Amino acid sequence: MNSFFRVLTVCLFSTPLLAQGAEDFLRSTGKIYSVVVVICILFLGIAVFLYRLDRKITKLENQIKHEQ
Amino acid sequence: MTNKSSILINGIWWKASGIIIFLYVLIGGMLVPLGPGVTAITPSNAVAGDTVVLEISGYNTHFTDAQNCNAWLKLDSNHLIKAYSIRSLSQKKLKAAFVLPDSFPSVAQVYTLSLVLDNEFDGVFIQPAALFVSAKTVISDALSGEWKNNFDIVFHERQGIFFPYRSILNETIRNTFFHVALWFAMFILLLIGVVYAIKYLRKGNYDDDIISSSFTAVAVMYGVLGILTGSVWAKFTWNTFWTNDVKLNMTAVALLIYLAYFVLRGMHQDQDRRAKFSAGFSIFAFTALIPLVFVIPRLTDSLHPGNGGNPALGGEDLDNTLRMFFYPSIIALTIMGLWMSQLMIRAMRIKDNILTR
Amino acid sequence: MHAGRIKDIFLKEIAVEFRQKYALGGIVLFTSALVYLIYKVFNNLTGLEWSVMLWVITLFAGLQATVKSFMQERKETYFYYYTIFDPNDLLLAKWLYNFVMIVLLFGLTLLFMSIFMGMPVKDYMLFAKGSMLGLAGLSTVFTFVSLIAASEHSSSTLMSVLAIPLVLPIMLLMLKITTVSARLIQDTSVDQDILLLVGINAIFLGSIFLLFPVLWRA
Repeated sequence: MNSFFRVLTVCLFSTPLLAQGAEDFLRSTGKIYSVVVVICILFLGIAVFLYRLDRKITKLENQIKHEQ
Repeated sequence: MTNKSSILINGIWWKASGIIIFLYVLIGGMLVPLGPGVTAITPSNAVAGDTVVLEISGYNTHFTDAQNCNAWLKLDSNHLIKAYSIRSLSQKKLKAAFVLPDSFPSVAQVYTLSLVLDNEFDGVFIQPAALFVSAKTVISDALSGEWKNNFDIVFHERQGIFFPYRSILNETIRNTFFHVALWFAMFILLLIGVVYAIKYLRKGNYDDDIISSSFTAVAVMYGVLGILTGSVWAKFTWNTFWTNDVKLNMTAVALLIYLAYFVLRGMHQDQDRRAKFSAGFSIFAFTALIPLVFVIPRLTDSLHPGNGGNPALGGEDLDNTLRMFFYPSIIALTIMGLWMSQLMIRAMRIKDNILTR
Repeated sequence: MHAGRIKDIFLKEIAVEFRQKYALGGIVLFTSALVYLIYKVFNNLTGLEWSVMLWVITLFAGLQATVKSFMQERKETYFYYYTIFDPNDLLLAKWLYNFVMIVLLFGLTLLFMSIFMGMPVKDYMLFAKGSMLGLAGLSTVFTFVSLIAASEHSSSTLMSVLAIPLVLPIMLLMLKITTVSARLIQDTSVDQDILLLVGINAIFLGSIFLLFPVLWRA
């Protein structure tokens, strides 16, 4: 139990450090990785949109199947 | 039976061209290198009459490869000081020594000099406000011999295509293709949506409402993505996710208005009235958007281009190399938006068919 | 357009309003209670807080007052109006009525606020000019949105959801003009703000006059 808490505290305290590291990474090489993040957001947004459209169409297909 | 408007363009060619153009923007926008620039200069202050040795850190520079490295400190186009000795420590580090003259051509407390670097690999590039020189107490009228003028210097020009280097933006200048273009595509899609809303109110054809709402939905998705990408970009340039910037807040309001549009659509049960009222609201919202996004930000300072002294698009911010990718990006995102709206339109038409059967 | 018709509808609106005195009294009570609450919560308001509160109260009281412009009578009555009136006459009368209501509520709020918390405004001319333009804009948006929201059961929620983002530019400009007229900030471009307000009003009024006849049929 004790060791569990120790791991937990280490994890909790290292999160900001990790975040710091991530941010340093994103800022490295002239902030190029922030461009990558922007492109990822763009891609994910379109993917979510398509996923929702997919579900809508599945619902319609089921409706048609039920009617037949 | 409602007659279908011919918004559906058949064929795969335009979808393929959208993808190809987007791929071109993605690959080109990421692979074209950034031009040379200066990231840091130490020291940044000096006193007139001193000898200073500037240690210059460059970005995308080739200091060791270059044979003819030259550096000038520039006051204005007629007054430059040439470095008397230059030593490159590495590709990205350079030491340049200058003798600052006692006398300056104009009277001021502090002179702001920009640094001009030139070599045959990187061409000529300028770091504005590189060195602040405080004047000596005695200012003589006679100019000492260090000052040279621009005319007899032959600068190199960099070969190949590259994006301009901006000191805070750095590589994120590429976000122009993915963030700024998103807003332009959003406005094009909103405009199509409003045109169909007007068409619906004039003709009362339910299909036009389907088209209008689909385009608005995709445009709102673009708007949300624009806010998200913009806030990521802001984090890495202005160091905050959300600023009090007027354009940012006004677009947030614009999004709120259009989200209210979907609340309105969701609340109505009756198809005909929903179509009519949401078409009316969308036209009204679009007219409300015009003062919102374009006029009000001009009243106050903004970090965005085109406001409060920042150069607008078409000025220095958007050079020809950026344009090579910026306009195609708008076209590609618009085509992809058209495609997505068409998928929505087709789904909603099928739904309408089922309901009216 | 027919001036006599407009006057008739306008007077009818007032008659209907005074027939249900409790509704009018409710709004007055709402306003005064809100002002009193703010007075008790803040005790002392700075000039900026004062102007923010003034406009927020006006916004919500105005919403309350205008939400029922197209709801207080039965469907048949509206159908009857539809057959005898030109929609533009009706719209203008409603707009005028809403404008008068909002101005009255604004005056009332101003009165209560200056009794409880003082009056920081120094440049009365600018304040009056700006407020009238802003209130005209509010009444335009509210008239239009109340028409759209009228057909729904939960219309007051819908009304606030639709109207608040739409009036935001007007509110921001009003806040700026109020703070300038209270001499809290110096601004030389305040005339430009007034012009902008006129422009927004023109755009809003123009678009609702184009849209109303079409939507009214529904």
